[in-house]
Amino acid sequence: MEINTFLQNFADILDDTDAALIKQETVFRDLEEWDSLTALSLIAMADEEYSVKLTGDDIKSSTSLNDIFEIIKNKG
Amino acid sequence: MITLKDKNILVTGASSGIGRQIAITASELGAKLTIIGRNIEKLDETLALLSGDGHKIQVVDLSDSANFTALISESLPYDGVVFNAGVVEYLPVKFLNESKINSVFATNFDSNVVLSQKLIKSKLLKKGGSLVFVSSISSKLGVPGTAMYTASKAALSAFSKVLASELASQGIRSNSVSPGIIKTAMTDKASDVVSDEELKKAESEYPLGYGEPSDVAGLIMYLLSDISKWMTGSDLIIDGGFTLK
Repeated sequence: MEINTFLQNFADILDDTDAALIKQETVFRDLEEWDSLTALSLIAMADEEYSVKLTGDDIKSSTSLNDIFEIIKNKG
Repeated sequence: MITLKDKNILVTGASSGIGRQIAITASELGAKLTIIGRNIEKLDETLALLSGDGHKIQVVDLSDSANFTALISESLPYDGVVFNAGVVEYLPVKFLNESKINSVFATNFDSNVVLSQKLIKSKLLKKGGSLVFVSSISSKLGVPGTAMYTASKAALSAFSKVLASELASQGIRSNSVSPGIIKTAMTDKASDVVSDEELKKAESEYPLGYGEPSDVAGLIMYLLSDISKWMTGSDLIIDGGFTLK
């Protein structure tokens, strides 16, 4: 899997966030749009695009989008 | 004093969680159980926990109604049926698709409804019998990510009301119960998508904390027994005070 595609997929689950803010080092929890539904969307996206079961604790233990990317990559 | 002495009671989804506890408590009150589930080992575990004897196991995957034929042909008339089989799926509406909708409804709604239909058509419900549908408090709320689960449970509660009306002339009652969060393996599934920290925070919204399977089983014993003979078409909330807030 490729980081840029992942970042694009992540940008796609958001509605009000400038895609330019979505980078490898972005602290996703600091995004204004981040909430529990976004977390569920991230889990659903990982399942749909990468067939990976991401957990709430995976998200909790991550800081940047790159951390999430690495978890998905390792589980994939 | 609630008793289910010598009542034949059918419980679906009895392999674990609330269904297992319903079977155990009913057996303690003297009922003869038929327990249904998909997993023989887990059903055997439930069976081993039942008081008294004369109980039966039926391994049936209720998500396919073709599997009902054997169940119906081997059934005795029932005094009570608890429609408890269900699954939970957390998914934002944005990510729904037809197959996901169908899979949740197949288990939570279709299986229970088709089973009730077959029991009625085959005259397997005794006069004075009681049907109980296990719905959910979420059917009255709007918790993000629970659309399909919630819709299927709301459909079940609505179905139960119509059934109550159609069966009243035969003296058969139908009610649903809508529990808040109960600690079971199924609700533990929430920890797949929500962190432990958030689950603990959510529990603080419950004045009496999260419930236990026995809390729901207690209410269902009341509905199965003759003590509740004047209650039909109701949907009973049991939620540790959650909706007070």
